[in-house]
Amino acid sequence: MAEQTPVQIFRRQERQKQYRSGTFFLKLAVLLLFILVPFLFPSFKSLDLALKIMIFAVLVASFDILLGYTGILSFGHVMFFGIGAYSVALLIGKYGNPTYINLVIGFIVALGITSALALIVSFLSLRVKAIFFAMVTLAIAEFAIILATKLSGFTGGEDGIIMSMPGIFKVSFNMGKFLGVEITGRLITYYFILVVCLGLFLLMIRFINSPLGRVMQAIRDNEPRAEAIGYKTFIVKSISICFGCLVSTILGGLYAMWVGYANPESVLGIPIMLDVLLMEIVGGMGTLYGGLAGAAFLEFAHSFLPDLQNFAKSLFPGAHFLHAAMERWLLIFGILFIMVVFFFPKGIIGSVQDFMARRKTAPSI
Amino acid sequence: MAQTILKQWGSKLAIAGAIVLYLLPLLGMDFSTYMTLTIAGLAMGMMLFLVASGLSIIFGLMDVINFAHGVCFAYGAYVAFSVFKYLNAWVTADSVFLNFGIFFIAIVAAFIVVAVVGMVVERVLVRRVYGSHLFQILITFGGMVVLTELIRIIWGPNDEVMPKPVSFAGNWNIFDIIILKYPIYAIALGLIVYAVIQLILKKTKVGKIVRAGVENPEMVQAMGHNIFLIFTGVFAVGAGLAAVGGLTMAIFNLQVYPDMGGAYLIFAFIIVIIGGLGSVTGSLVGALIVGLSYNYVAYLLPSLAVGVNILIMVIILLIKPTGLFAAGK
Repeated sequence: MAEQTPVQIFRRQERQKQYRSGTFFLKLAVLLLFILVPFLFPSFKSLDLALKIMIFAVLVASFDILLGYTGILSFGHVMFFGIGAYSVALLIGKYGNPTYINLVIGFIVALGITSALALIVSFLSLRVKAIFFAMVTLAIAEFAIILATKLSGFTGGEDGIIMSMPGIFKVSFNMGKFLGVEITGRLITYYFILVVCLGLFLLMIRFINSPLGRVMQAIRDNEPRAEAIGYKTFIVKSISICFGCLVSTILGGLYAMWVGYANPESVLGIPIMLDVLLMEIVGGMGTLYGGLAGAAFLEFAHSFLPDLQNFAKSLFPGAHFLHAAMERWLLIFGILFIMVVFFFPKGIIGSVQDFMARRKTAPSI
Repeated sequence: MAQTILKQWGSKLAIAGAIVLYLLPLLGMDFSTYMTLTIAGLAMGMMLFLVASGLSIIFGLMDVINFAHGVCFAYGAYVAFSVFKYLNAWVTADSVFLNFGIFFIAIVAAFIVVAVVGMVVERVLVRRVYGSHLFQILITFGGMVVLTELIRIIWGPNDEVMPKPVSFAGNWNIFDIIILKYPIYAIALGLIVYAVIQLILKKTKVGKIVRAGVENPEMVQAMGHNIFLIFTGVFAVGAGLAAVGGLTMAIFNLQVYPDMGGAYLIFAFIIVIIGGLGSVTGSLVGALIVGLSYNYVAYLLPSLAVGVNILIMVIILLIKPTGLFAAGK
């Protein structure tokens, strides 16, 4: 072969290492674990936990495209999640019947609304300074919550919308046993969501490593310079916002398919946004896989914190203030959040990566 | 020709346009309703101004977006609630003197307590992250969550009824126009606070240092002033102003609840975006715009009331992305 540029040599080395490194097998193992969850832990609780970890991992990764890769903090990300959930719920549950075609239409409508809204939001708020973006998106997200609560004739208000799924996604669907586990509609939904999530995740990795993704990272690191080199930062940022929001919308629809309802508290609320933010920070900004670590950590904490509370109660039976504090798990999460931002600003994955890099370079120095 | 006219008369045209716009609701209602709504709107605007001005000054001087500002608002309301509960006899007494006394005590108590909270927040949280907007937002957001949960632990998670001092209820009847008493007091309080802030900023040495700090903090430091001490002081005063806003709003709405900070934080954000970050006058104008529009629209088209503020914000962002009164930066 003819002369290779240093970049090409570097890329070839990377490609050769790709399928031999330890992290590659770790990723495969995690995927395998998700596939085997229904067989290893055949209870609804574990299945629910695994699915929530999955959806939130991908949601956080899509948030990471904005925050970690483009340097835009948006508080409206969960709003798009809610748009996905609501349009699927409206088309299947309230204004239609549970058929496959309605499901598909629901997703398409949601994607249409999201792309329009994301474009409007980005055109409006990217005109102003970066910090304004957080404030504007927070205002718009709050407005969406109020809209969903107040327009009770259309969205069902606080109670939201309950729906049942079409055909093979139906909870009561059953097609016999396989390896001692009943193949129910739940299980099929689980695998369907797993496949879509995997696809979205791979798509995001591809997006980040594309030339456009590199430009996004340049904008994050030094926006005036990226602009001076000649990139249209405004358009790149808009594309990044739209892409992240579209992924978020699809996930919202999937989440509604799994839980079977959509209400403001479960798909739109500020607590969900806080969860996503916390997962992002705990997992690590600027590492798509950080979402997985953060989501796993937080969802486990959600499901096992009640046990921890009882444990603390039995340990210190007299301290009433402590009990009151333990019951407010948001307090604990808030303190945890502040601690992580102060002491591990790179999160779990970021810190581990740093540690590995240091170990790798240490002997050669 | 048209362009030169626009340039020369731009601000006056804008004011005239705004006045015409705010007279428009007259078409949809009779005059006494209009006056009642206007006074309610002005009162709401003044209370929101108290919250937004602190947020705006803190940003202007320290370049910090404080998401924990709404919680200071809630703390002010809750401290006043405790004061009213403790000195309930003064609240229920049918004496103007005692009622104003308790109102004054509540304001002072709320201001001092929340200023101390603000100082702690600045010292513990914000000081470590000067210069990085992203981390400021994350940290103050975390602080907001923790402080809100602390309200739930200290005062309980439920909504509480805020008592109103007896002589604050009732109304005056002037030429068949019913004017509620309390909104007038709130408007007066807001104007006094605005005047005091302007006096301090314009006439005292501290005010001069703060204004210089807005322009160029490094230079102020080079002149030998301890800028961090001023940062802490301004943060505390900003938090205290939010607390005064919170207690007036709680008496106005007759209720306190732990999440009240969040809802009004959104209002405060909209106001500072409209008015321009870092400008006290901008906060006042923005707050009056938001308060008046909210009240008119809430009367005419109740379901759109919250949307109209977002709409105004969007229009102003389109016309002037820096806000109406952009400060030094």
